[in-house]
Amino acid sequence: MYPKIVKWGVIILTLVLALALSSVISLAFGPVNIPLDEIFAVLINGEAELVNKTIISHIRLPRIILAMLVGSALAVAGAAMQGLFKNPMADPYVIGISSGAAFGASIAIIAGISVPILAFLGALGAVFLVYNIAIKNGKIAVETLLLSGIAIAAFFSATTSLLMYMAGENLHQIVFWLMGGLWASDWDKVMVAFPPILLGIIGISIFSRDLNAMLLGEEPAQYLGIDVENVKRILLVLASLITGIAVSVSGIIGFVGLIIPHMVRIVVGPDNRILIPSCGLVGAIFLIWADVLARTIIAPTELPVGIIMALFGVPFFIYLLRSKKRNWMIRC
Amino acid sequence: MLDVKDIDVFYGDRKVLERICLSAESGLKGIIGPNGSGKTTLLKSISRVLKPKSGIILLNGKDVYELKAKDIAKDMTVVSQDTSTKFDFTVRDVVLMGRAPHLGRFEMEKREDMEIAEKAMKLTKTWHLADRTITEISGGEKQRVIIAKALAQEPKVLLLDEPTSHLDINYQIEILDLIKALSKELVVIAVFHDLNLAARYCDELILLSEGRVFASGKPDEVIISRNIEDVYDIEVMVKQDSGRLVIYPQKKVTKFKKGRIHVVCGGGTATLLMNSLVNHGYTVTAGVLNRNDSDWDTGKMLGIEVVEEKPFSTISEKKHLQNLEFIKQAEFVVMTDMPFGNGNLHNLEAVMEAINSGILVAVIEGSDIKERDFTGGKATDLYALIKAEGSTSVRNYLEIIEMLEKKCG
Repeated sequence: MYPKIVKWGVIILTLVLALALSSVISLAFGPVNIPLDEIFAVLINGEAELVNKTIISHIRLPRIILAMLVGSALAVAGAAMQGLFKNPMADPYVIGISSGAAFGASIAIIAGISVPILAFLGALGAVFLVYNIAIKNGKIAVETLLLSGIAIAAFFSATTSLLMYMAGENLHQIVFWLMGGLWASDWDKVMVAFPPILLGIIGISIFSRDLNAMLLGEEPAQYLGIDVENVKRILLVLASLITGIAVSVSGIIGFVGLIIPHMVRIVVGPDNRILIPSCGLVGAIFLIWADVLARTIIAPTELPVGIIMALFGVPFFIYLLRSKKRNWMIRC
Repeated sequence: MLDVKDIDVFYGDRKVLERICLSAESGLKGIIGPNGSGKTTLLKSISRVLKPKSGIILLNGKDVYELKAKDIAKDMTVVSQDTSTKFDFTVRDVVLMGRAPHLGRFEMEKREDMEIAEKAMKLTKTWHLADRTITEISGGEKQRVIIAKALAQEPKVLLLDEPTSHLDINYQIEILDLIKALSKELVVIAVFHDLNLAARYCDELILLSEGRVFASGKPDEVIISRNIEDVYDIEVMVKQDSGRLVIYPQKKVTKFKKGRIHVVCGGGTATLLMNSLVNHGYTVTAGVLNRNDSDWDTGKMLGIEVVEEKPFSTISEKKHLQNLEFIKQAEFVVMTDMPFGNGNLHNLEAVMEAINSGILVAVIEGSDIKERDFTGGKATDLYALIKAEGSTSVRNYLEIIEMLEKKCG
């Protein structure tokens, strides 16, 4: 009927397929290599060697699903923040979420209590502060939001550094958490993270056309009948929520939220209606494979996945940036 | 269609619009006025960005602040100045965004929407740009794309904020021709900076000054030199040029506080003038006058500082220089229709000096200079020179007072 729908359908279908393949194939990798036919056997009817069955269903499967969730959440939140701030430099951490979470996590590590819960509370606390500093007469000025985000982030970074300075033997734990990783994945985390992240991504997608209009300026968006202040508020809350959850279960994984939206935009164009779902899928695929590398490259030891993302993602990103094949999809 | 009734608009505590009324049923209506007079604010109030503290704005008889944003956007939209993006949407995508108010949240653009967008692009001559990105086209092209986006909204009322600012003259004319053509079918209200363009294109004008409507009506009723001079503080000449109004700016009207006025007079020609000036609160000086001259008497009586010369004596070089000093300190020099003899010829030279140093000079011409020239033509020659070099001629002292009061008011 209308080529855009066909094109978008092809993009989504391709990415869904790639994600399905990635999630299954990546199950094979790890300190113990498990052949693909055995993986299918476990997934389909649960018949396999007990050890492999345990490895797959209790260790690798939750980890891969969590990688998908975290990758999606960060990439989608990044795209939303870049749209909100009309600034391609923005990322999910731009309003202080990561610093707040780091502060909460550091306290939890030193005090020996639940890290995800305190990290989440720290993230929410930071966003709450930033949001309330930036709001004036019921309106959010994005410039003020950006500045107060930077200020609050600096404040929490300082307090985190202070905690690290005094952390003693807990220091390496804090440092490790700050680099981000998925080694502590389990089904409980998946269960906690899955519903809010899925709902958050769907929620952000619903406002993607409004976000398009807002990229041309807030006032012009108002003239299209969009309740700009409301949309900003909703998108901020949803993006913060999914980022906060992602950070609380995996630490601070950098790069995904900044670069994935850019890479996807180069290929599918800037329209948020296709950009945001594509980011969700590409973010998931990228984090799955980055995590495969992280747990195999110097096996049996693991690398923090954030390091892998940057090491392998940046060259690829620079290639896309330089290859001038901008908007391949748009033109066809 | 659109009725603005008695709105007061504030920025914080500062009142920026006061009791504005405006009504538009059809055609192109221009809003003009100097910077800070409230033009853009008025547009923002109409387009729901800045809610008035009092008064009401009706679109088709309904209060715009009561309607849903989306419903308003189907009937009225704004082509604003600040549309820009770093993200490379294609021109087609941008124009299609104009369909947003007509689509449900989960609805994709349909063939019909594509056709409306195509029509808008063809009308604005941007169809050939459809697949280019908005970031790579020129300013004039972008402005036309933004208008195409507004047209895709299918509004009945179109508001434009300085639609041709930052554009070259050829694009200005092109865009205004387009807007003029659109105004046959929609109500168009546009803010204009350029008075000539406003006069040329608008069916009706509203002239704002300091947040109030100073004048409104047809262009030839609003753009008259008196209105423009009062509102813009500039002298203009408005001419009809083959049925078209053309505004020629002259020079800035210098407003001065009740300042120093120097009167060059003699023989009782300035009695009423000096009295009146002093009564109106001006600081008056006079000279050069011979002692016991009747103007000298008046001056002394009023307590005016006078450059004085001995009775019946020729003005000395020293007194002439002193007179020039007085003139330099004055903001305005008046020369009365005094008689000239060889004794006071220096006074004419002093007035000439005033003109040369840029001081405003007015000459009262109650009688012909020839009848009061007792120098054998020297005074007449100098007098002609003074008139030619840019002094203002008036008939009597009352006109002087009127002129000064206007400049100070």
